[in-house]
Amino acid sequence: MATEVVVPMLGITVEKGTILEWMKKEGDPVEKGEIIFIVETEKVTTEVESPASGILAKVIVPAGVEVPVLTLVAVITEPGEELPAKYAALSTQVPPVEAEKVSQAEQVPTPMPHQVRPAEVAEAAPGGAIKVVPAARKLAQDKGLDLETVSGTGPGGIIVIRDVEAALKPGPELAAKVSTLAGRLAKKEGILLQGIEGTGVRGRIMRADVERVIEEATAPSLGKVIPMDSIRRVIARRMSESAFTAPHIYFFTDVWMDPLLNFRRDILPNFEEKFGLRLSINDLLIKAVALNILDFPLLNATFKGQEIYILPEVNMGLAVALPDGLIVPAIARADKIGLAEIIRQRADLVQRARSGKLSMDEIERGTFTISSLNQYDITYFTAILNPPQSGILTVGKTRDELTLVDGAVKEKRVTSFGLSVDHRIIDGTVAADFLQNLKWKLERPALTFLNL
Amino acid sequence: MRELTYAQAINEALRQCMKEDERVILLGEDIGVYGGIFQVTAGLLNEFGPERVIDMPIAEAGFTGASVGAALTGMRPVVEIMFIDFTTVCMDMIINQMAKMHYMFGGRGKVPMVLRINIGAGRGAAAQHSQSFHALFMHIPGLYVAAPSTPYDAKGLMIEAIKNDNPVIFVEHKKLYVEKGPVPEEIYTIPFGEAEVKRKGSDITIVATHAMVIRSLRLAEEAAKEGIDLEIVDPRTLTPLDKVTILESVKKTGRLLVADEGHKTCGVAAEISAMVAEEGIFDLKAPVVRVCSPDTPVPFSPPLEQAYIPDVKDLLPAIKRMMEYA
Amino acid sequence: MMKIDKETLLKLFTTMLKIRYFEERIVDLYARGLVPGLAHLYIGEEAIASGVCAGLRDDDYITSTHRGHGHVIAKGADLKLMMAELFGKKTGYCKGKGGSMHIADMELGILGANGIAGAGLPIALGSGLSGKLRGTDQVTACFFGDDASNNGTFHESLNLASLYKLPVIFVCENNLYGISVGQEKQRLLQDIALRAANYDMPGVVVDGNDVLEVYNTTIKAVKRGRAGEGPSLIECKTYRWRGHHEGDPNQGRRYRTTEEIESWKKKDPIERLARKLIEDKFITKKKMDALKKRVLKDIEEAVAYANESEFPALEEMYEDVYV
Repeated sequence: MATEVVVPMLGITVEKGTILEWMKKEGDPVEKGEIIFIVETEKVTTEVESPASGILAKVIVPAGVEVPVLTLVAVITEPGEELPAKYAALSTQVPPVEAEKVSQAEQVPTPMPHQVRPAEVAEAAPGGAIKVVPAARKLAQDKGLDLETVSGTGPGGIIVIRDVEAALKPGPELAAKVSTLAGRLAKKEGILLQGIEGTGVRGRIMRADVERVIEEATAPSLGKVIPMDSIRRVIARRMSESAFTAPHIYFFTDVWMDPLLNFRRDILPNFEEKFGLRLSINDLLIKAVALNILDFPLLNATFKGQEIYILPEVNMGLAVALPDGLIVPAIARADKIGLAEIIRQRADLVQRARSGKLSMDEIERGTFTISSLNQYDITYFTAILNPPQSGILTVGKTRDELTLVDGAVKEKRVTSFGLSVDHRIIDGTVAADFLQNLKWKLERPALTFLNL
Repeated sequence: MRELTYAQAINEALRQCMKEDERVILLGEDIGVYGGIFQVTAGLLNEFGPERVIDMPIAEAGFTGASVGAALTGMRPVVEIMFIDFTTVCMDMIINQMAKMHYMFGGRGKVPMVLRINIGAGRGAAAQHSQSFHALFMHIPGLYVAAPSTPYDAKGLMIEAIKNDNPVIFVEHKKLYVEKGPVPEEIYTIPFGEAEVKRKGSDITIVATHAMVIRSLRLAEEAAKEGIDLEIVDPRTLTPLDKVTILESVKKTGRLLVADEGHKTCGVAAEISAMVAEEGIFDLKAPVVRVCSPDTPVPFSPPLEQAYIPDVKDLLPAIKRMMEYA
Repeated sequence: MMKIDKETLLKLFTTMLKIRYFEERIVDLYARGLVPGLAHLYIGEEAIASGVCAGLRDDDYITSTHRGHGHVIAKGADLKLMMAELFGKKTGYCKGKGGSMHIADMELGILGANGIAGAGLPIALGSGLSGKLRGTDQVTACFFGDDASNNGTFHESLNLASLYKLPVIFVCENNLYGISVGQEKQRLLQDIALRAANYDMPGVVVDGNDVLEVYNTTIKAVKRGRAGEGPSLIECKTYRWRGHHEGDPNQGRRYRTTEEIESWKKKDPIERLARKLIEDKFITKKKMDALKKRVLKDIEEAVAYANESEFPALEEMYEDVYV
């Protein structure tokens, strides 16, 4: 049987060697143990013994060629044996590519268990702590970006740097309203463009506006100004929280509006003359509701842990509809201030709501909300509580109806009011009482507003 | 520039230092006649004679301790321990004597010796001849630990190690001995505590030691095809560690992978990761990844040993996962 | 010299053949890369392992060295499991995870080959102490090399063994070299047996290539150990025909001369015993040839077994780190 002659393993670091000299040539007889060739490596010259006795039938790798260890270099046959075809067919070998290098370039195998990182970021549970990588958290912090408004696209939903960077970039509509210089300056200084009031043509944000914001940012101010986008997002999130956690019950009543409308009409000119302000029905409504709350303080409550906490102030939230969402600033201490002050606050808050300049406190201080669709053709509607409040009043349209008064058909103006309450705090009778009383107050304005 | 192998580069460093300074002597098993088990000391016995190139019997504690004593009293010995695995036999001499004398003696007396060892699996030498626990020495105050990855670094660091008055553990790598690279002919040193950025990149910082540097560079070619640009930082010395270069790189890329052939638990990679978590946390855009050997002894069987050794097969999936945090 | 019966003589002869043929087969397998890693072969030293282990009981212990194939074969290790282990296959003694230097079998009393020179000595102390405490009369044969006698563990172990009268037989295989360092460069005293006197225990020098002398000396030391009289040191002068490890260039001729190697080959322990067996008519040449063929067949079966066996699955790397 033919015996293969290889370049033997030459120690634990040697990977290749050069055959220096063949001690035998093709056709020579060899004895097992006889030196058959000499190989040279980095380190030394080694004499290689023949692994078998017989005839050196074929030399495959000649002297002078460097080959990896274990390369087949010759074949020994038994005397009289013919060289097997597979060896006869071999020509002088070209040293093969180093096996190790080839395998490295192959496809990515599954990593071994010890290289796999244990439990990576799990899916962020709703309402759980926000998961965000350190660099992204820092960037968001530096830029005043609320991470609750950022959705994470990293593994397991973690917020990664690209998510924060994207959230900081202005959207296309805004980009159109920004001058090139302003945009460059904002980018350089890391200023958020959203929420900057533009003084250019049609509200375009100019470089001067950005400069102004930079200056303001370094000056101390009461209450931080937060960009609208994030506020809206916070509210949206809270709305859905509220809808799913607070059990809502709804009550409706129709209020005869004529007395109130007439009352307003009557005092309007004097009021305007005295205060320089135009009184609206909403203002009277705000006051009436605030006073009603004083009679039913439970409607001004919230949860504090396991306890129901009746808030000390009545800050009346007004739902303001904006093109792309709802915002609810609150008039502070609506029960205590006069109508003129209510007007002023209301006007100011609504105007700033529309221009995106409300502070978080102005939104968060609300204890009860009035939501009016009075200008719409909506009879009545339900509203979702504005957390953490426990009551919200809806105002439908003022409609004309016919009624029978002493046998005669009269017309009257009616508005449907709705009340949603958190049933964990407020029972049906309390809610009914509140609404009933509100109706009573609105239908007797002279009495209600006597305390002014 | 001419090229030398890593082993030849160290050989040249030894030769040049021994020529220049007669206080430099070599001790170890089979370093004389045999030229060292990996031929690092080949030819030195002939050139400098048996009084300066001393073949020792199997008595590691004996001759390592002897080197400490010789260093204390004016000599500059370079000791070879045949495999890092055998340092266990002379641990007291290394940890309790060599590392601590300068401190314990209040500065009176120093130990300017170099202890040469090698790490790395891959040749079927099995559990007691293939370990890479160099982290043990990084853990001991008083020792400097050098970790060259190229012939150039090997020569420069060795000359520095010999000239340096501190005790140095010089960690070589079995598989790097035959790797070639450009090496200047003159005497030159590489200061300790200076990492080298072996490849500039922007996506991921790989801090790698020894053969992991070479493997990371190979990986970088693969990674580039996938559009991932790797920066490879070679610390070159583990103690002192060039924290500044590492942190600057992490600041630039935001992503850190540490690749070292020791075990994962309490290894060199663990220390570097902890340091960055402590001093560079806000620059991290992704979790830190360590690519190391598993926490098992080195298995003999070839397929197991191949799986054991951290390589491109482990680095590539790791960097791909890290880029999900881009 | 004590008279040795025919059965024992044939057993000694067969064991030496097993070791010789096994190791010679490894030369070829290693060169071809089928046995990976490191191989330290026992060729030329067979008489020591065979002679010593023949003097032990099955329940006696041995600690071995990096050059351990001879010891473990002589103590009864299974050739198939050994070969498979050397190939790195999962059917090997150590499931492929140990390799040549770490073969062990507690049931045969083989407390492991060992990759650290001198490490077997303290371990042998342990098995000696254990037998003594358990009240058995088990003894431990501790194999180690000449260069290991220069290591701290040698001195600590001999001191403790003699202090506690432990039943340990320290068998020094003096093959004149560590790896490349000859004994005159290792120590002044060339006869390691003389060191025994420092520890107040008997030390003798024997011809390590005379299996009968090794055997007879062992019997005496074993008797002493079993009687609770303490340890003994047997220094066997011998020689390894090949280099320190496979890959040590040119059979260690970097540090040994051809004349020296050839002179020792002439003292081949197997040839010596073969001549005696034939001369003293313990066995015919024909039967001897048949015996040799049988042993070769066993070796080939072991190679076939190893070849056919599988490598361990990658997951097995994590097993056995802990119990």
